[in-house]
Amino acid sequence: MTLRRDHIAGAIFVAFGLLVFALSGDLPVGTLSFPGAGMMPKLVASFLILFGLLLILRANESAPVATVAWGDLPHAARVVAITAAAIALYQTLGFLVTTALLLFGLTFGTERRHPLVAAAFSIGVVALTYLLFAVALKTPLERGILGFQ
Amino acid sequence: MGTVESLLLGFSVALQPDVLWYAFLGCLVGTIVGVLPGIGPLSGISILLPATFGLDTTKSVVMLAGIYYGSQYGGSTTSILMRIPGEASSVMTCIDGYAMAQKGRAGAALCIAAVGSWIAGTFGVIMLTLIAPPLATFALRFGPPEYAALLVLGLIFLAYMSATSLPRTLLMACFGLLLGTIGIDNMTGHFRYSFDIAELGDGIGIVPVAIGLFGLGEILSTPSATVVGKVIAPRLRELLPSRDEWRQSAMPIARGSVLGFLIGLTPGSAHIISSFLSYGVERRLSKHPEEFGKGAVAGVAGPESANNAASTGAFVPMLALGLPTGPITAVLIAALMIHGVPPGPTLVNEHPNVFWGFVASMYVGNLMLLALNLPLVGIFVNVLRIPYAYLYPLVIMFCIIGVYEVSHSIVDVWIMLIMGIIGYGLRKFGFDPAPLVLGLVIAPTFEMSLRQSLIMSNGNWAIFFQRPIAAALLGLCAALLALAALSLIRSRKDWRSKLAEVEAGENP
Repeated sequence: MTLRRDHIAGAIFVAFGLLVFALSGDLPVGTLSFPGAGMMPKLVASFLILFGLLLILRANESAPVATVAWGDLPHAARVVAITAAAIALYQTLGFLVTTALLLFGLTFGTERRHPLVAAAFSIGVVALTYLLFAVALKTPLERGILGFQ
Repeated sequence: MGTVESLLLGFSVALQPDVLWYAFLGCLVGTIVGVLPGIGPLSGISILLPATFGLDTTKSVVMLAGIYYGSQYGGSTTSILMRIPGEASSVMTCIDGYAMAQKGRAGAALCIAAVGSWIAGTFGVIMLTLIAPPLATFALRFGPPEYAALLVLGLIFLAYMSATSLPRTLLMACFGLLLGTIGIDNMTGHFRYSFDIAELGDGIGIVPVAIGLFGLGEILSTPSATVVGKVIAPRLRELLPSRDEWRQSAMPIARGSVLGFLIGLTPGSAHIISSFLSYGVERRLSKHPEEFGKGAVAGVAGPESANNAASTGAFVPMLALGLPTGPITAVLIAALMIHGVPPGPTLVNEHPNVFWGFVASMYVGNLMLLALNLPLVGIFVNVLRIPYAYLYPLVIMFCIIGVYEVSHSIVDVWIMLIMGIIGYGLRKFGFDPAPLVLGLVIAPTFEMSLRQSLIMSNGNWAIFFQRPIAAALLGLCAALLALAALSLIRSRKDWRSKLAEVEAGENP
């Protein structure tokens, strides 16, 4: 049997539905005349499992999983890693430092642009964005513990 | 107060210089967002949402809505000049718009698209003016069972209209509904799935989910090496179409306007579906169907009018019923709520300045867009020359600022990143993330209506069939499910499967 895209997708949703049930143990379902906090999540999780199974049953209509192109995965992983680092640092370093590093990381680290061009781009964009938000739109940006905005 | 008096009140608000300025700003940003491939109106609206906190409600919603309908104008520019849809709703314009450009008729194609968009947009606003107030009055009769039935109908309609299959759409909607249950249960005070994270007590916000799925998810799926920009420079001296081209575009614009508005009232990606259907209708009605794909004027005029009318039509259920038909109207609802103005049946009577000011601003906004999109097209085209390698880092930065500034919560930004990764995965497995956002938005109202209905009836499900409006809405649900099952049994290729093929990049 060829493993198809919908076999994987359906199985993930069935597993997720079961996980919701496992995490909902302490949520009361209540009664029909007074439904509890657990009624809606469990009802929806049941439908999620049902539709997941339906997807698996009809998986033959979908493409084989081997045909899913993952060529963009390394690029996506680099973007996610740099963005995650920026989010982790955002409240500590503040807007100015973090976003400058984020832009430099993406243009130089991921896109392999010339370091000087990437640095000029990062600093220029951050300065313009600061002027736009903090000065023109009067929207305070995150200062961070170092006191920079 | 009659419609004319109310509209005059609206114009007295919309023509104030500061409101005009924010309408212009929204239209300008919307056009740029529409021109740029990979950045949708949703990202534009979400990014600018924090900037509206200091404004009053009318200015905020006027600017944010301007981004939405402005993006429908801008999307055609990229489609015609680059054969890359600036917006998903401009996919069909790529086919004949680019063919016209290759024949040296880029200016005429842009002009027909802009004029068609203006006519359709204005038609949509006239219909909105006429339909929304009586619909809102009618909706005042709705109780919890009617709202629950209406939301079920919305989900079923979304699944029926979706290009992907029924189970896939409903799976996404269920996923969104589940995400919507996170946080404190309003009726009992139970914490649900918050894992001791205080920020999750308020639930998951629409903005981080929408920006993650549509903004970041799109970027992760688009490696910069694959973005090749070759722009056909429009000859502005040839901007005016010939008399024959005007004649050929007149009826497609009229049909596209009506078709687009009607589809815009329904949940789902109405602006995308309407342009596809309009293209199909025009090809079928044409005396020269063989010209489609080779630069047929009707292939530009119809879809471009339809997507604009649909984007205006989507405001009817949003303003009159408080129901979003898609992620964009969901974020606009969130914007209204942030300003303490709940959209829905009471909006027209309790906040007439906001409602009529918004409606009147759309008449003005459509005129502004016509003025912006024709003479300044050369300037907007230059935006396309920014290399994607510099463009997407900018978008990521704005995504972070946009999400963080809404509630100054870093947890929201993490949610955005997680949703971006999920959005990337969903695209790989052929899922449309729009129903997920819709599910998330309607989850609190749906759960509350369902539980209140059961409490009202002492646990008797028959309440949904004993009240005429709720029963009629559920009857419609059953009819749609039967239609979907019928097409499944016959295994026929209908317009939805053809739309799926076009969205997957195959020829129509």
